[in-house]
Amino acid sequence: MAISKADAIEKARKDLAQRLNVDASAIKEQSVEDDDFPDMALGAAEDDEMSGQMITSGWRIRLGANGQNYEYRADKNQVRLVGFRGKNYRV
Amino acid sequence: MNRNNFLIHLALAVVLILIAAFAGQLNRWRHEWKHRVHIMPIAEKKRASTAEEIALAENHPGRAELLVKFKSGTSAGAIDKIMEQFHDRVEDRIESDPGLEAIDDLDDANVDATVAKYNTLPEVEYAEPNYEIEQDAVDSSSFVPVLPHDPRFTDQWALANSGQRGGKEGADISATRAWAVTTGSDKVVVAVLDSGVDYTHEDLAPNMWTRPASLGPYHDNELGTIDDTNGFNAIDNASDPMDENGHGTHCAGIIGAEGSNDIGISGVNWKVQIMPLKFMNAGGFGTTKDAIEAINYVIDRKKAGVNVRIISASWGSTQKSRALEEVIRKAYESDILFVAASGNASTNNDRNPHFPSSYNVPNVISVAALDRNDQLAKFSNFGVKSVAIAAPGVDILSTWLGNEYEEKSGTSMATPVVAGVAALIVSENPRISVDQLRKRLLDSVDPLPQLKDKVTTGGRINAAKAVE
Repeated sequence: MAISKADAIEKARKDLAQRLNVDASAIKEQSVEDDDFPDMALGAAEDDEMSGQMITSGWRIRLGANGQNYEYRADKNQVRLVGFRGKNYRV
Repeated sequence: MNRNNFLIHLALAVVLILIAAFAGQLNRWRHEWKHRVHIMPIAEKKRASTAEEIALAENHPGRAELLVKFKSGTSAGAIDKIMEQFHDRVEDRIESDPGLEAIDDLDDANVDATVAKYNTLPEVEYAEPNYEIEQDAVDSSSFVPVLPHDPRFTDQWALANSGQRGGKEGADISATRAWAVTTGSDKVVVAVLDSGVDYTHEDLAPNMWTRPASLGPYHDNELGTIDDTNGFNAIDNASDPMDENGHGTHCAGIIGAEGSNDIGISGVNWKVQIMPLKFMNAGGFGTTKDAIEAINYVIDRKKAGVNVRIISASWGSTQKSRALEEVIRKAYESDILFVAASGNASTNNDRNPHFPSSYNVPNVISVAALDRNDQLAKFSNFGVKSVAIAAPGVDILSTWLGNEYEEKSGTSMATPVVAGVAALIVSENPRISVDQLRKRLLDSVDPLPQLKDKVTTGGRINAAKAVE
């Protein structure tokens, strides 16, 4: 089932809260922008992951917590956390 | 039958006969033009020889430059004397025409002057150059374009760029001229290693590969026996490679949406067999292991007799895998070309490699993307050492899930253009080796100054040059 922008934001907030072990209310939405990503892993492939090399439209979601900034990328198929402690994660 | 009916039937019959005659003549014209001959004086050919050819000619004397008809009654002794005087040699005597001799000019002087000299002799009835008649390599620029009957063909700038939507006229792969030579063949199989293919799409279905009845189902020692009727799904090792994303279906349409069928678009090949391989999921991503399984499948089917000659790989990452490289090398050993996307990070692959396109294996061709103005796409990776060739890859219209069509951009889209041209080459040269095929592709570019420092060949693929 296709993921909407609102679904993606909600999924990202929950994921970050869980990773940081904080309440979801502590996660602040800083910005959400439409964007084009370089590939179908949204430019955030996990290790050992290959993706289609097609420009993919989606959303760049920036969240904040504990004074830190975090970037998620999403499209209708997926939500990804970018560069969290040096690694990418498919949520 | 009344008089009016009779006249109508008679008129119809005449029209049908005329149409058939015209079609036959068209076919004859096409055949004559494709196999036209080139006539060149032997002497000119000798002068054009390379040092290597001259050396060869010296070891194999006797390429007669002239035909001289001596008058009746001229003795053999008189002819020998003339030969000695002119430093020439009788190469051959034409028994069917007494007095006609083929003369080898040992000095390789100007043939027209030599002919004129002979024509002044009282013993000579006539002299003329000896023309060699040979089939010539056809210059693709003279091919008469062939246009398909596909309603959205005018949106396919990659195949025929008329300057539509602000593009540059002629910034295309010259597909319409290539189609004067070949529109592809259903004997050629191209594996689309991707998210699967919507093999029910009405513009693809006639060109989809299905496992021949004579071939047993795929068997892998670890995976067991798999019914690969419609291709192979490496994600769950089930039988169905149906696309759930659209990416693979798009790539398949670029290679081989059925041409001139009055539906949608035309592929680079009007006729071809597309073998769907699925290793990427509904999101458009997959694992290295599943890609390896799918390539193994292709190699197995090739060994079993399927004429799969090309793998189109519109995917990748910056992660290097020795196992993936090794299986691509095994594909090379099975005479299979591997066409791969250079990547969309706008980076130089010479410094930051992208895989599988950057593997140093002889069957790999890395492809960069161009826009409709022949400029390197802003997103495209490049690399004068590691990216071989460029092809259209921006706003490319092709097949999509559910009998739809969409425009997409990426080196993903440029890759099947090159894979499609490779299939056209194979359709004309069924026995071509993978090394020859790769070389042919790389020798078939339109050089573009803006690509000089971006890709190895410095040019955009030209399908007409590739099949000439």
